[in-house]
Amino acid sequence: MYDLVIRNGRVVDGSGMPAFNADIAVQDGRIAKIGRVAEAGRREIDATAKVVAPGFIDPHTHFDAQLLWDGYAKPALSHGVTTVVAGNCSLSLAPLKAEHRMKLVGMFNQIEEMPLKAFKEGVVWDWESFPEYLARIQKGLAINVGQLVGHSVLRLWVMGEAAMERTANQQEIADMQKLLRECLDAGAIGLSTSYVDMDETLKPVPSRYADADEVDALASVLSEYGRILQIVPEFYDPDLTIARLDQLAELSIKYAIPTTFSPLFVSADNVGAVERVMARVDEQFARGARVWPQVQTRPIDISFSFAVPSLLFIRLPGWYNVMRFGTQDEIIEAFSNPESRAKLVAEASSQMALWSFLRLRHVASEANQQYVGKTLAEIGEMRGVSPLDAMIDLSVEERLDAHFIAENMGHNLDDKVGGLLKHPRVHIGASDGGAHILSFSTYGDTGYLFGHFVRNQGLLTLEESVKKITSDTAAIWGIPDRGLLQKGLVADIVVFDADAIDRGVEVYVQDVPGDGSRYIRDAHGVDTVIVGGGVAWSATEGYTSDARGAILPPAIDPALERIAA
Amino acid sequence: MKANELSPVRKSILPQSGDRWENIAQRELPGTAEGDAVAMLQSWNLHVFMRSAGGVGRLRSDNPILPSDVIFVEPPRA
Repeated sequence: MYDLVIRNGRVVDGSGMPAFNADIAVQDGRIAKIGRVAEAGRREIDATAKVVAPGFIDPHTHFDAQLLWDGYAKPALSHGVTTVVAGNCSLSLAPLKAEHRMKLVGMFNQIEEMPLKAFKEGVVWDWESFPEYLARIQKGLAINVGQLVGHSVLRLWVMGEAAMERTANQQEIADMQKLLRECLDAGAIGLSTSYVDMDETLKPVPSRYADADEVDALASVLSEYGRILQIVPEFYDPDLTIARLDQLAELSIKYAIPTTFSPLFVSADNVGAVERVMARVDEQFARGARVWPQVQTRPIDISFSFAVPSLLFIRLPGWYNVMRFGTQDEIIEAFSNPESRAKLVAEASSQMALWSFLRLRHVASEANQQYVGKTLAEIGEMRGVSPLDAMIDLSVEERLDAHFIAENMGHNLDDKVGGLLKHPRVHIGASDGGAHILSFSTYGDTGYLFGHFVRNQGLLTLEESVKKITSDTAAIWGIPDRGLLQKGLVADIVVFDADAIDRGVEVYVQDVPGDGSRYIRDAHGVDTVIVGGGVAWSATEGYTSDARGAILPPAIDPALERIAA
Repeated sequence: MKANELSPVRKSILPQSGDRWENIAQRELPGTAEGDAVAMLQSWNLHVFMRSAGGVGRLRSDNPILPSDVIFVEPPRA
């Protein structure tokens, strides 16, 4: 008798080959048989008329903190995601000395828009080293985690405050190399760095004080392990993006390592720019480099209230400084005082088109419910004020608990985005799962891929889409034993209805430690999600207690590795 | 494909230790008067130059160049 048998499914095995009908048997956490299974299973799943595919892999997330209180990375797992890569963009929660904890919390708050209160009330700080952090999240882990080491935290550990002031000297670089080796020995999947991000004081993050020699030295360590380098380039400028991908290509070729940069967006005003970047990607691949651009599936929607800083205002310094550093009373005062309000209005007036099409999505008061769902242009007309004044007035009236949404801000040209997603040298990712929790939902990108680009637009086939987010991702990141449905591989499996899979509507929920809120999307059309051979989530049971998540890749025995070398 | 067969792209450098606009101007634009060369570099690298002028991302006021910055040494290509 098998542990689990999935019967009568349409198997899309992750290889890109055509789907076929078969049963799948699971024993001891691995796929034991694919074909006609005569034996019974202790548990059986009827997958008639459903697709059976490898679990999806999300390569760009920031679940580092959430995994400390939620080993399921909810709701990502319910969407069929069985593996997430955390620690992107130079930020990981380890290795981290006690004295740097609040500094890193500040960076997570600024860059990934994660609430300070969630860290204060949801995190028990009982680790410093990378292995200690992995041991910490492994308790109750239901989803697999590939954990990157953040370059900024490596610098903080070795250089302290100087990490945010200067280049490293030779000894410090050697110390960073040693520390990175310790992380890779413990099971780190690679290194992440950033060329754009700023900390909570709006100064560049530590990784941006590294010179090329330091990055080269760290890449040489990645080479010893064949591990990946992830970067955030200056994605808003194609010339800068190309310069960065050329840097990556040199490192990739010199050290024979995979590299990836994220994000790459396409919008109406930069279609040519994306084509230039992709032409360069193609050339660098032709040279033998591996420089994978990450492209997200969903269009850009941004929600905000003035209660928390929003990156939507990052190019309006007056507004951003008020949001970033002001208390609730100070922000209301800045909006109410005629002099400061006039300055803010003047600064924002150049973007009047933006304010007009923003939509009010939530207010607390009964009096303003009449405006919910309307654009600021419509509300302004009803009130006899400009859209910008309507936004400010509502925010003051609601004591900042007025929520607005900017929809379809970019990455919404279906044929162009679909073409990118289909491109053989594009890596589907960049969901940012677990981050920006009050700006947009980072869940459901896989459902959107199948619902929008496969089913509605017909721009990708089911088989190529599954391959893109399973075996391709596993191969790019060197994730062992996953990404395919093959006998002997680990049974990370998702069962879904190809005619129904999609992301749900974005909803506002209050489930973050410290009475925090976030936007999420529920999964539609997903039937069962299996991790390591156990059902971790199903549409009928919800999340189960069968938590078999693993750290990927597993820790290696450095002694054995060196003997083998 | 070899490196020298790559399509030409906008020329850029990574800063050397202690680089300032003036050093880069002397090294990369030797035939141009230093003041003019600095002005050109700054106009080609607003992503760096604007750090010292704006509030957001402001750092060392006397030298906004970070060790990791890409510095363009020619204008955008048509």
